[in-house]
Amino acid sequence: MRKTSEIGESLRIAVESLRMNLLRSILTTAGIVVGVVLVVVMGWTIGGLDAVWEQTISIIGKDMIYIDKWSWSGGGNWRLMEARKDITLRQAELLSQRMESAESVMPVVRLWSGSVVRGNTSLRCGILGTTTEYGKTSSAELNSGRFFTSIEDYQSAKVVILGEGVAKSLFSGEDPIGQSIKIISEPYRIIGVIKKRGFLFMDFVDNQVVIPLESFRSTVGMFERSVSIGIKTGSERMVDIVRTEAIGHMRSIRNVEPGQDNDFSINEMQAFDEQVKNIRIGIWTVGMGLTILAFVVGSIGIMNIMYVSVTERTREIGIRKAIGARRGSILLQFLIESSFLCVIGALIAFPIAQLIVGAARFVAVDLLDQAWASVVSPVIPVDLLMIAISVSVVIGLLAGLLPALKASRLDPVEALRYEQ
Amino acid sequence: MNRPIIEISNLVKRYEMGNEEVYALRDVSLTIGSNEYVAIMGPSGSGKSTLMNMLGCLDTPTAGTYFFNGQDVREMNDDDLAEIRNREIGFVFQTFNLLPRATALQNVELPLVYSGVGKAERQDRAKQALEKVQLSDRMTHRPNELSGGQRQRVAIARAIVTAPSIILADEPTGNLDTKTGHDIMALFRSLWEGGNTVILVTHEEDVARHARRIIRLRDGRIESDKVNPDA
Ligand SMILES: Nc1ncnc2c1ncn2[C@@H]1O[C@H](COP(=O)(O)OP(=O)(O)O)[C@@H](O)[C@H]1O
Ligand SMILES: [Mg+2]
Repeated sequence: MRKTSEIGESLRIAVESLRMNLLRSILTTAGIVVGVVLVVVMGWTIGGLDAVWEQTISIIGKDMIYIDKWSWSGGGNWRLMEARKDITLRQAELLSQRMESAESVMPVVRLWSGSVVRGNTSLRCGILGTTTEYGKTSSAELNSGRFFTSIEDYQSAKVVILGEGVAKSLFSGEDPIGQSIKIISEPYRIIGVIKKRGFLFMDFVDNQVVIPLESFRSTVGMFERSVSIGIKTGSERMVDIVRTEAIGHMRSIRNVEPGQDNDFSINEMQAFDEQVKNIRIGIWTVGMGLTILAFVVGSIGIMNIMYVSVTERTREIGIRKAIGARRGSILLQFLIESSFLCVIGALIAFPIAQLIVGAARFVAVDLLDQAWASVVSPVIPVDLLMIAISVSVVIGLLAGLLPALKASRLDPVEALRYEQ
Repeated sequence: MNRPIIEISNLVKRYEMGNEEVYALRDVSLTIGSNEYVAIMGPSGSGKSTLMNMLGCLDTPTAGTYFFNGQDVREMNDDDLAEIRNREIGFVFQTFNLLPRATALQNVELPLVYSGVGKAERQDRAKQALEKVQLSDRMTHRPNELSGGQRQRVAIARAIVTAPSIILADEPTGNLDTKTGHDIMALFRSLWEGGNTVILVTHEEDVARHARRIIRLRDGRIESDKVNPDA
């Protein structure tokens, strides 16, 4: 009860002294403003990065493991990988037969650039041959139509599922389903279109077409092509178990001697997590460094102004003490005032941060890809604002502590005698 | 004498100014009972303000004892003293000592803020106190919009709003013209008649005449302590 009335009084004083010294107070909060802007923009950037990464990871699927001759991440010895024997369709079949923990196993063969023609329009894009199981992976979520069946594969049916980019380029708005295109001069009937998944540097995934493996064999050919083996684990939790099992089988299928390194690479989206983590840490370190600097400068400013305020109000403190304010009351009054100043700083910072975030997003969407628009938040999330406010309050309490202690310890008689 | 509120004995207050020692109070013993009306007189520098600050628990003695309402003031810490000042003592100063940016009402409310009285009751009691000093029509005025006499009335309202055991006034008319001074003295008198204990400092014989008891200080000692024959 006593505390509530004192907090109310303290807030009244804080507002009053802010009004009295408006310009001075606002200038004092500059450091806090910069600090809060940095925190918020940094938080938003990391949030954006995470969202983009989530989206990227879902292109392939977190539950997918690919076994390839090459490592996707570009790590490892290039010459050594070059020297590896190709992975064959036969090996993919054997693995498929032996795997027990996986949901499905599918071979994937790729021609990175092949010609696709519709009437007078032609383009070059990736051509991908695989089995019907591929249709159940997140890489093949359809916008319309259907995926091919195992019978179509078996019969080497000339059916094709278009990537979103290809569909747009060739049909620009028309419904492609049922229409015909030529893939390396062979006519194919379009039965499905895959959802847009591509994103930033990953947007090649939309510029490919998917056909049955057997059709690929007849249209494109299998000569000197290493097969990529896709393994759908069924869930993220299963990835470790499935990977271990797959490595065991692959070593035995490819006759890798015990003690020797694998002669194939395991590719997972999870492997990139490490790199993303490093980027995050990079942003944090730089951002935090700048933020701490700004907050240190800011809190020195606040501390200074609070000392001035205590001196200016020595007599007022004397009066308050004479009529019964305890040390704690005076301490509270000045702590509330300094955190109030910092909160004002945060409130000034928010629109500035929002402007920066808005501009950054505008530039990013313009420069990179419209897909950003759907993933990266255009406004600063509320929890970030809450964090920023809490940080400001803490900074205010810390910066105000020494001046507030000084005020609370003033001798009432001397304070009353103080002349401005 | 009524129940004693203030009992001090052999009170000494010494200030150290560099190498020099100044004795503001040398050996003061004094008992003041409830519902007394005491004037403390003496030449400038005789220790009147020092004694008042001591009585008002604003300052602590160098030596001697002070019992306030039977409690030993020397054993109290800062917060206990603040509590006593808040609940038991109403202080009126020569220079009014109002908060310049607060309204009359807010100034009078202030002691109640520190005793934790809720807003509604606080305003009620502050309004009543302002009524007692005939300032109901100036509640929303700030000190610089009030005359000296009105400011001192606000200060008196602030002193009585907590219904304290004693009202201490250190030269309350010192900054006022004679006519206004008389009005203020009449107010103290009516407070005393209403049952309050009033102790005031003055160097005007004229002002002291209102009091029932006159204590004269000289060089930090009590020179005389007499019942006022004129009152
Ligand atoms: N804080 C202080 N430091 C040093 N000397 C003081 C202090 N306060 C009061 N004094 C001295 O104590 C004596 C009494 O002062 P005071 O009580 O203010 O007298 P009065 O109110 O009767 O004029 C004076 O000599 C004054 O100079
Ligand atoms: Mg004096």
